Formats: sequence, C-alpha cells, structure tokens
Amino acid sequence: MIPEPPSPDGAIPAIREELARVRAAMQRIEAALTLLENGPEPERPARARTRPDRYYLVLLGVYERGRQGVDSEQFGRLGAEHGYDRRGLGGYFVGARASLRRDGDRIHLTAEGLALIDEYLEAAQA
Amino acid sequence: MSRAFGPLISPAQLAEHLDDPNLVVLEVNERPLVYNQGHIRGAHNVDWHVDLQDPVLRDVPGAAALRALWSRVGITRASDVVLYGDQHNWYAAYGYWLFRMFGLKRLAILDGGRQAWLQADLPKDRDIPAAVSSTPPNPKLDPSLRASARDVVALVRAGGNLVDVRSAAEYRGDIIAEPGYLQEGAQRAGHIPGATHFPWELAIADDGRFQGPDRLRELLRGRGLDEGAPAISYCRIGERSAHTWFVLSELLGMRDVRNYDGSWSEWGSMVGLPVVKGPEAGALPGSVPSLEAA
Repeated sequence: MIPEPPSPDGAIPAIREELARVRAAMQRIEAALTLLENGPEPERPARARTRPDRYYLVLLGVYERGRQGVDSEQFGRLGAEHGYDRRGLGGYFVGARASLRRDGDRIHLTAEGLALIDEYLEAAQA
Repeated sequence: MSRAFGPLISPAQLAEHLDDPNLVVLEVNERPLVYNQGHIRGAHNVDWHVDLQDPVLRDVPGAAALRALWSRVGITRASDVVLYGDQHNWYAAYGYWLFRMFGLKRLAILDGGRQAWLQADLPKDRDIPAAVSSTPPNPKLDPSLRASARDVVALVRAGGNLVDVRSAAEYRGDIIAEPGYLQEGAQRAGHIPGATHFPWELAIADDGRFQGPDRLRELLRGRGLDEGAPAISYCRIGERSAHTWFVLSELLGMRDVRNYDGSWSEWGSMVGLPVVKGPEAGALPGSVPSLEAA
C-alpha cells in the first residue's frame, strides 16, 4: 500500500532533517575513506609540560582577565593564590622567552606565554 | 526570561535565569579548551574553528551544518540564546553575528564574557552537557549583514564608515599580525584606503564590560565616525570586527552595519588591491579594477 503523503507543512522540516542526517553520514564516510586511503595519522604525544602546574595556572589567570592584562597588585594576588611569594614572580618576565611582559603598569602575556597556556590546556585534555 | 531579550545580559541576570527551560547558553572561546577549566552550568562548548566555519572553504558554515549545530545544542524556535567567551567575547560576538545573519532573533551576549562571570565569583561547572537533538528553525542567510571586498570599495566611494578595529600597529602597517597570531597572516601590512581606526577595545570599559551607549557615541564622534551613515567593520579574520559590528548594530542600533569577515587576511593578500601605510586614512585610487566595473 502506498503511504499517505504527509502535509507539506510537516514534510519540509522532516525532509530537511533527513537531509542533514544524510550529509553528516556522508562526511563520516568521507573521513573514514580518507583515513583508509592515507593510513592513520601518527599519534602526536601531548606536549610535555616542563613546569609545575601552578606556573601555568598563574598564566591562565592572566589570560582569564582578558586583553587588558592585570596590574601588579592583581598579579601579586594571582601569584599568592597559587602559592607564589610576590618576590618569586620575577621569573615570568626574564629572558628572551619570557611568558609575561610589562606595558607601563599593566602586565600582559607574550606569545610565549600564550603558547605555554596552549601547552597546559592540551596536556590537561589528554 | 521576559519577552524583551538581548542584546546584552549581565552575569547576575544570567545566573538568575539559568534554569529557564528555553535558555540555551553557549561558550565560544578563542581557546576552546579553556571551557574544560570550568564553565557556566549547562553551557555547551562551541568551537569556532570547527562549528562556526565551513570545514573546507574559507566561508561561514552552510545552512545544513548550522542547523545540525543548533540541534546539537538544543536551540528551538522558542530559545533564548546567550553567547559568551574569553577575550572579551570576540568569538562569542562572531557567533552572535553569524546566528543573527542566519535568522536567529532572541540572542544575547553576556556582558564582560567569561571574565565577568569569573570575576563575579559565580560558580563554574565542569560537567559537559549531553548533546541535544532539538528541532531548530531553518537557518536562512541574510546577506545584508555581511560585506565583501567589493562592498567595502562601494561604501568608501559613497562616504560610509569603514572601520578598522585592529591594533594601531596593524593599522599603520608596522606589523601584519600581533605576536601569537602568525597563522592569521597576509602578504602585505597596512590598512584599506579610507578606513578609520577605531580599535575594538575602545568599546570595553576598565571592568571588561561594554561601555554605555553615551560613551560609545562620544568615542565614535571622537574618531570622526558618522552614526547616521552605513558602516563596515573589519579586522584580520572577522572576529574582532564582529565585536565592533555588535557594538554599532546591536548596542547603538545603527542601520546598515556589515562585517567584512574576509578582513585584512583577504584584502592584504589579494593582488593589486590598494594599501595605505601609516596613521592617515588615505583615499582610494580613482579605480580599483579588480573590484569595480570599468
């Protein structure tokens, strides 16, 4: 028996949904085929963390305060939250690969600092 | 949530309405993994690299992909959708612009973003909400919110506001991209002739929230921008300019505001397009053959 055709009002969303499912299935098949053709990607080990967690957490704290960075007072508090003595925070600013820099009275992440945050987040994810 | 909704919601208001059945909260970060460090209860993580772009073309996602995303995060016709994220909502604003362009009406940005939620000491949650399978509205692209390079030239010729929201160093052409963003490069540094420099962060107050409308208007006037004229914003890849689009269109209610999402990574790489270096806006040459009919 031929089923009763649905009303156009109900049919269009149902067809669209079905189409989205078919497209998603095609993408999965395409990805699986690519994998078969090229072989599996070599497994990338999570980047090793080279510093204690609290070092990264201070950087993450600066990141979480946005693009305007933090002032010295906020930075001192952030360090203290993670067990750093104020005088022990100077290391963040030292060397060619310093993770933080001072712009007047504000403290900002450097590109190296951002890379360290990525390193921490990726390792936490693994 | 009352029927009046958006374009901004404060952390306190959001906290109060977290259990509303029609509320959908989405976190959109520059660094999507930050979500795993704790997020607003019930918020879904939307990865802008994966969910808010076409996976192959440099383009916004297609309607089917967007509909699948909306279904996954539980958006229906009745939803109130709140977007928030890190970096003062850069990517949340991009999501807002994209969703608006595809027809969602009840949208809001969390004022101050992730930063404001944390600073208000509101609770963070680590539970990841399960994917939903809702029946969302059908996304339908409204091209009037988006500008192409051709639109940019036409706007400058007509005396509209072309707004460059990047840093001063990028505008002057001292650098192509800020340190840490080398993947967002272009072949040339500088700005589009006729562009006014209005860095995105002017719209942000010291506490990380948006400036009020009066202050925003004062800032616009201070840069010589005309609130009554059409505007196009651009940055490097279209996310900071979505933030400024949000300010001009949604907070100030300016008409005919578009985001040039191709932005500098497109303009600064296209052969033969005019570029100005230095602090002056400059002017378009008599013709831009690749973008204007002879």
